[in-house]
Amino acid sequence: MQTQEAIRPSITDKPRQNYLTNGYTIKSWLLTKDHKRIAIMYLISVSAFFMMGGLYAAAIRLELLTPASDLLESGTYNKVFTQHGILMIFFFLIPSIPAVLGNFLIPLMIGAKDLALPRINLLSLYIYWIGGGLVLFALMQGGVDTGWTFYAPYSTTFSNTYVMLVGLGIFVNGFSSILTGLNFIVTIHTMRAPGMTWFRLPLFVWAHYATSLVMILGTPVIAITILLLALERAGGIGIFDPAIGGDPILFQHLFWFYSHPAVYIMILPGMGVISELISNFSRKKIFGYEFIAFSSIAIAVFGFLVWGHHMFVSGQSMYAGLVFSFLTMVVAVPSAIKMFNWAATLYKGSISFDTPMLYAIGFLGLFLIGGLTGLFLGAMGLTVHLTDTYFVVAHFHYVMVGGQVIAYLGGIHYWWPKMTGKMYSEFWGKISAMLVFIGFNLTFFPQFILGYIGMPRRYASYPEEMQVLNIFSTAGASVLGVGLVMPLIYLGKSLINGKPAGDNPWMLPGLEWRTQSPPPTENFDVMPVVTWEAYEFGEENGLDLEAARRRDREMASDFQKN
Amino acid sequence: MAEHGTHDMHEQHEHEHMTIPKYLLIFGILFIGTIVTYLVALTDLEWIFPGANTLVALAIAFFKMTCVMLFFMHVYWSPKLVKLSAIASFFWLAIMFAYTMQDYLTRGTGVFGQ
Amino acid sequence: MATHVGEHNDHGHAHAPGLQHQFEDMKQQEESVSIGMWMFLVQEIMFFGGLFTAYLVFRSKYPMAFAVGSNHLDAFWGGLNTLVLIVSSLTMALTVYYAQKGNRNMQVILILLTMFFGAVFLGVKAIEYTDKWNHGTVPITGLNKVVREGHGDSHASKPIEFSIGPKAYAAEAAGGEEHAYVNPRGEFQWNDYDLIEKKVAEQKADPNAYILTTDEKNGYFSYGELDRDKFRDKVRIFYWIYFVMTGLHALHMVVGLGLMTWLGWMAFRNTYSAEYYMPVEMSGLYWHFVDIVWIFLFPLLYLLGRHFIAGGH
Repeated sequence: MQTQEAIRPSITDKPRQNYLTNGYTIKSWLLTKDHKRIAIMYLISVSAFFMMGGLYAAAIRLELLTPASDLLESGTYNKVFTQHGILMIFFFLIPSIPAVLGNFLIPLMIGAKDLALPRINLLSLYIYWIGGGLVLFALMQGGVDTGWTFYAPYSTTFSNTYVMLVGLGIFVNGFSSILTGLNFIVTIHTMRAPGMTWFRLPLFVWAHYATSLVMILGTPVIAITILLLALERAGGIGIFDPAIGGDPILFQHLFWFYSHPAVYIMILPGMGVISELISNFSRKKIFGYEFIAFSSIAIAVFGFLVWGHHMFVSGQSMYAGLVFSFLTMVVAVPSAIKMFNWAATLYKGSISFDTPMLYAIGFLGLFLIGGLTGLFLGAMGLTVHLTDTYFVVAHFHYVMVGGQVIAYLGGIHYWWPKMTGKMYSEFWGKISAMLVFIGFNLTFFPQFILGYIGMPRRYASYPEEMQVLNIFSTAGASVLGVGLVMPLIYLGKSLINGKPAGDNPWMLPGLEWRTQSPPPTENFDVMPVVTWEAYEFGEENGLDLEAARRRDREMASDFQKN
Repeated sequence: MAEHGTHDMHEQHEHEHMTIPKYLLIFGILFIGTIVTYLVALTDLEWIFPGANTLVALAIAFFKMTCVMLFFMHVYWSPKLVKLSAIASFFWLAIMFAYTMQDYLTRGTGVFGQ
Repeated sequence: MATHVGEHNDHGHAHAPGLQHQFEDMKQQEESVSIGMWMFLVQEIMFFGGLFTAYLVFRSKYPMAFAVGSNHLDAFWGGLNTLVLIVSSLTMALTVYYAQKGNRNMQVILILLTMFFGAVFLGVKAIEYTDKWNHGTVPITGLNKVVREGHGDSHASKPIEFSIGPKAYAAEAAGGEEHAYVNPRGEFQWNDYDLIEKKVAEQKADPNAYILTTDEKNGYFSYGELDRDKFRDKVRIFYWIYFVMTGLHALHMVVGLGLMTWLGWMAFRNTYSAEYYMPVEMSGLYWHFVDIVWIFLFPLLYLLGRHFIAGGH
């Protein structure tokens, strides 16, 4: 029976044709329609942008070691944090999991040969490169200093930096996002294998469906906002200028209408990865499948109703603030539902602490803190004290880095054997996961305290008494930096002389594990017909727990040998 | 031939449902709708309630849009997903309008206003 | 699945014309392409939606300025454009009809007609925009013939004076985007204050009546009197919204014409038939969408305040 054979972790004796060996020329990569190759090209690109954003982060933390604005003067510091934000948000976080893991895995998980619109997929990659190229060019010319939020009237009237050029780059990049989302929605609707009903889909796919909804409905609004910004700047119109009757708050409304749902683009895919990791590394069917699936959709929908919580103190009406505050509390509920379900999945599971699982467990703790502090910020009274302080900075880093980046790393490690056919060093994987967790907490937890005692964000200098906490934060950042650079080394090394992974090294029932590692270009030798439920672990499926335990013992002795 | 069998049903629908006379009928409705919009805009309806002119103009525009969507864009015979997408996008527009306006319309009002 | 020996033996069936490799059959391809196109249209609706939001915000703040500005747009050209687009929608729908029937000649004729009407639309827009250029109602500094050729009248806007910031920034515009500060008032030309003066008088006669909105009561007045410069600023905002909305729409129209050129060429080569006509249907969806946007733009931009002129209250 198909399930029986597919669970075995077969090491292939003879190398078979796979998507990596199917053509070695540059042209075969740059003109490919294969979603897996496109995913790998995205992987390289987003990693490059991540490193660049990380360098800017290093500059910020170095400057903040001392209270005075000595390493960077204020104008330069403004550029540094702006560019850190732009590169990280638009060019790393938003594409990361969807464009890399989503592109690679969704067709595999649903049993299809490719995405529904492969040429659109390639176009989205090209557009990403063009947008990124424009922004990089602008940064080299002198950059932009308005903050990644580009608020009018500074960005439209007073800033003397390359606002329009960077805006153009982000505008172009938005279409990359839209096309990816469009492709996923079509694919998930029309390309599922026979027998793959909606409720047999892995939760990773549900999460990406919800993310794609947000991408399609939200991204065009930032596009029009940037267009209005650029026109205002170029033509001196004044639509955001109160002196002639315009309204700067209108800019904020239009901006945050996208940018709030954008943060859900920057967490939902991560939650999808975590559902996979938690279930698979507990060898237990996920608790509350339908609840998690529907809560992803609920987050996507409700996420559009709360954007005003970024504008509580900006001059919007108090009543609007009340409505947005209430809805912010409501939108936390689906996320909480997921957390409870994940915890319930762990209960009585057969947990193995492989590197991806370490990342997943880290996510649970860090996202919890990030999510809760978001509620603090959503409460109107407290937000007046905390707005524009480091509390906000700590909050969003907990959810974006502690959430999405950790999930992204977990996913990369989990699916690395599938994507490359090689296993990385488990020892170094575990070390780096722990360094990331420790470094991250040391960096950002002090920032909650700093924010509460009043350190404003986006300032290059601060009062003397806040220096100690800032030093902790910078120290943590160095540890975090080491932890984030290490995967480059050991994952890279695994490509050269890593142990060949079999088709199913973790011994799991998912559809993506039932084909070669790396997969052939058309994904499956025989197109599958799905007759089993998602996350179906059980003796009757031929999933031998004893074999899994034997493997764990082997790995433990490997660890000691290293 | 067997390979045609699966998609015949799909476009035969449109073969049967929209014929040239029906296209011309919808066109006629749209044409008249435009004339009506123009003429109604010239007459003052503000005595009914303030904003009546705008409401009537928008109502006619909605009606014209519905005709174009259902019959020219074949949404009437499209799968449910397409119908849902069309409706959902207007729902999202409504969210954007309503939640933005709730700020502008409540500024300076009530307990917290001047 | 029929088991013909086609070009691709690995799948064991001949491919219908235009079937792409990732699809099992034509029906799946049609379904996918259709959903994909509708997702794109959803995205386009939200794109224009941002502009409609801006329109909504400013119209609710300054309805009189919007009414006055709207009355100076030529509703004849606007109405003609609406009719032209409706006709082009008809020819587009008929193109799809004939594509399904595989009638090459009718397809090409109808595509050419659609393009003709699209071009007429753009021509009328060019007439309108030129008219604005001639009368100085383009809200961008430097894009008004009247001012460029020095025929600006004494009603030209006074510049806004700021005590800090912009002038200094303009002076030190080294690096950056050649960004000299532009006075937001520009050289917008406007002379028609009849309607607003009438309304101001009515409001003053009855302070409790809802003639002007709160924003208007703050925004049009200086020291209790109607300030023409401030009123003109709001009319200028209306014209700005008019240009951006119709400009973006016209841009979509140009893209549509490009699409029609490609489609016309493919239809000429007899590519479309009952088995394979989705590209025509999808292009039709785009064209109808552009038509629908105009169906809303016309009353909202051109017909706002006509009832005032027609002898209303």
